[in-house]
Amino acid sequence: MGEAIVVTSGKGGVGKTTSTANIGTALALLGKKVCLVDTDIGLRNLDVVMGLDNRIIFDIVDIATGNCRIEQALIKDKRFDQLYMIAAAQTKDKLALSTSAMQAIVHKLKMDFDYVLIDCPAGIEHGFRVAITGADQAIVVTTPEQAAVRDADRVIGLLEAEKIPPAKLIINRIRPHMVKNGEMLDIDDIISVLSLDLLGIVPDDEQVIKNANQGEPTVVKPDSKASQAYRNIARRIIGEPVPLMNLQEQSGFFKRMKKMMGLG
Amino acid sequence: MLTNTALEPAGQDYVTIKGIKNGLVFKLADDVHFDKVLDALAAKLGNGSSPFSSGAKVTAFVDYGNRELTPEIQDAVEKAFLAVGEIQVKVYQEAIEDDPVPNKLLPKAPYVYKGTVRSGQMVEHDGDVIIIGNVNPGAHIVASGDIYVFGRLRGYVHAGASGNVRAIVAAAYFEPIQVRIATVIRRSPEAYAHPAEMEFAHLEGDQMAVEKMSFLQHFQTLIMSDKAVI
Repeated sequence: MGEAIVVTSGKGGVGKTTSTANIGTALALLGKKVCLVDTDIGLRNLDVVMGLDNRIIFDIVDIATGNCRIEQALIKDKRFDQLYMIAAAQTKDKLALSTSAMQAIVHKLKMDFDYVLIDCPAGIEHGFRVAITGADQAIVVTTPEQAAVRDADRVIGLLEAEKIPPAKLIINRIRPHMVKNGEMLDIDDIISVLSLDLLGIVPDDEQVIKNANQGEPTVVKPDSKASQAYRNIARRIIGEPVPLMNLQEQSGFFKRMKKMMGLG
Repeated sequence: MLTNTALEPAGQDYVTIKGIKNGLVFKLADDVHFDKVLDALAAKLGNGSSPFSSGAKVTAFVDYGNRELTPEIQDAVEKAFLAVGEIQVKVYQEAIEDDPVPNKLLPKAPYVYKGTVRSGQMVEHDGDVIIIGNVNPGAHIVASGDIYVFGRLRGYVHAGASGNVRAIVAAAYFEPIQVRIATVIRRSPEAYAHPAEMEFAHLEGDQMAVEKMSFLQHFQTLIMSDKAVI
């Protein structure tokens, strides 16, 4: 029996879909069998980020309404054998997916997969409630901005009311130089407000945008910092202790030598 | 909106029953999915100790809180009652209940809340409120008495909400977005001096003052002897 993890944030545009795609891919890289589920009915884009939009035949509403079996709606990733996704419906109404149908789908997926990652829509209405039902765990994504932190706080309150175990936090799009200059909320501030365990921090990286546009999750390419951050997050999810990455710019050879000699 | 009873983390009750002069008020939680409330209502009515099991003729007033009232919701609730017997169901309006005259001489019990009060959550109580935990930005605390926060106060607080000008707001870390005492409102400064530790707000005339907690005892003595300028 696998685990169902919902990725949520409250606010839109903080990186739920990107995080879902990358964490899922990173888990698949670690040899886990993973299914990504897009629940953003009407505004699906997980398939675009994964580069699988041309392979969709059936979607999650088709499963819910009995138009197809779950196996028929599973889209196999083009890079990894262990990675699948279920797309959201684009043309149907939000209310077409009920909580009970979602629960049944997640339950069935958990039988076959190690991890079921659920990409939650923005907001706290029907779509949110559908996405979190059936989840064993929650990941809350936020960015170092007041508005995003406040929405995350609201969502955490709602998750607590639904009796989902304490969520884990991902702080996305950190710009190290802005944090250093005090122009961005720093990580300790955010944790002190939200009082959650930190699952990982992801630096702002142009590579992520570039890769998303090419339909290629960033983690596939190991060279960027964001890629490394997502790989670390995946390793923490499977229970490996991985220290937080240092976001400061790489220091030069001389600086490192000085530091080693105790002069830095 | 969460009332203080609904904020209990464990054993959350979606339906609370209260007796009034002309019947019973069923307060339905408005912050959870309606199906859950309906299940809880059916369970309450179904069990043997239900107020209707005695066969007495009572009217049920249903308080939907802030939930949007649609014909479907009303229908479902009425059906739940009819399943138990011939019960008259009405929508509860505040005016139906004639409040007993509050006994001003009896001090009201304080309400103690343990845990973080998060954005969008509200703790409301007739009396003093004590929060053991943080009050986050966007959270609301409303009390007819004083408010004490053992943690970081960063939300909206309203002490003395029913007009008590002697109410105070005290916090271990005092960084509220907005403080109201009785009818006086004070916005947060653009930035708090750090550390804003162990402070409390009180009224001096129609101005709000914030002082170190070490002054609190002196302030209380002044209030008791009615020497404070209020």
